Amino acid sequence: MKRFPLAAVMAAFFVFLVWFVSLRQAVLFLIGIGMGSVLAGARFGFTTGWRRLIEHRDPSGVLAQLFLLVLAAAVSIPLLAAYPTDLGAALGPPSISLLVGAFIFGASMQVADGCGSGTLYKAGMGVPLNMAILPVFAFGSFLGSAQLDQWLQLGAIKPVGLVAEYGPLPAFLLTLAGLAVFAIAAMAWAGKSARWFDRKLFIGAALLAVLAVLNLVVAGQPWGVVYGFGLWFGKIATAAGVFDPATNPFWSQPVNMANLSQSVFMDVTSITNIGILAGALYIAARKSSSSKASTPLTSTQWIIGIVAGFLLGYSSRLAFGCNIGAMVSGISTGSLHGWIWVPMAFLGSLIGVRVRRHFQF
Amino acid sequence: MKNPILFIAFWIALLGFFAWDWVGSDPVNVHLEPPLIAAGSGRAPSGGHCASTF
Repeated sequence: MKRFPLAAVMAAFFVFLVWFVSLRQAVLFLIGIGMGSVLAGARFGFTTGWRRLIEHRDPSGVLAQLFLLVLAAAVSIPLLAAYPTDLGAALGPPSISLLVGAFIFGASMQVADGCGSGTLYKAGMGVPLNMAILPVFAFGSFLGSAQLDQWLQLGAIKPVGLVAEYGPLPAFLLTLAGLAVFAIAAMAWAGKSARWFDRKLFIGAALLAVLAVLNLVVAGQPWGVVYGFGLWFGKIATAAGVFDPATNPFWSQPVNMANLSQSVFMDVTSITNIGILAGALYIAARKSSSSKASTPLTSTQWIIGIVAGFLLGYSSRLAFGCNIGAMVSGISTGSLHGWIWVPMAFLGSLIGVRVRRHFQF
Repeated sequence: MKNPILFIAFWIALLGFFAWDWVGSDPVNVHLEPPLIAAGSGRAPSGGHCASTF
């Protein structure tokens, strides 16, 4: 595939957004392209990083992710304190649904070999399973959001934001201390001889941190992925007449009703998702000639992968985000729910890698 | 690209969805454009996010 025609199409879409939608959405599309290019170019996989730590005691991927969180938090937390009304943190409520959702998400992402961002960039790169997973991920995300109210009735407290609760400096120091504990735990598990530094992953982490902060500054809200998927399926279900958003506690909220009636190009999360797909496709255009052909999946692997993709979508709504919305955005903007999400998702991953191995992915 | 048929079907479906959505959605009021930079705009963020309960 040629890169020049792709770049021309992306440039044309940028101009379309500037002219017919808004300059902000056009800029967010560019930020999304950057995210997709970095994720695909550096092969920055949150799922793979965790799996390599669990199975091979290789901490380099996890440490790069922690580096990303430190950088993003170092800028995001002071910004949230400086612009408390203009910028919002990724605040999800600590709840039963968070515990269940994060655990299932952690397991599912190992089976499906991709989290929210991973599924997006791999689908953009043309990985068959991830392309097939994207629609069921969207269905799961929609269904999870539609049933979120019932899950919250099982038990939840109000979201806790460290910046609002303690101020920017204590919030950042608490975040730093928590991330240091994660890093020490990863290094201890890996052992002294483990290689901890991967230059490509650390450069990818730094670039993703810059892009995540840019997303916050421009959009006013942190980077997210799965809300957009749910919105896409919600529009289809509403148009097909099988879903009435006015009777649903989540979708009847004014912001969601407005998003259902207006173009997805107006939605912040959707436009960065489109950018990620485009950026990954652009990277794949260069890599396609040199990439090795992988073994085709069996029927059983396809079925298991698709089921895992549905669970990814459903559980990410219960968990108030995926690796991006809950972990990267939650922790870097001082949300307590991000700190609950990580250990629960990691416990799920311990199961997920075994399921993955059982089905010989 | 490991499966050209699936790859083409995927992008046709995705672009078809965006085209259908653009045609069927409320027209964009370009006179109510959101601020280019939210930080310092004085306007609260108004988009949906996966961490929010609403």
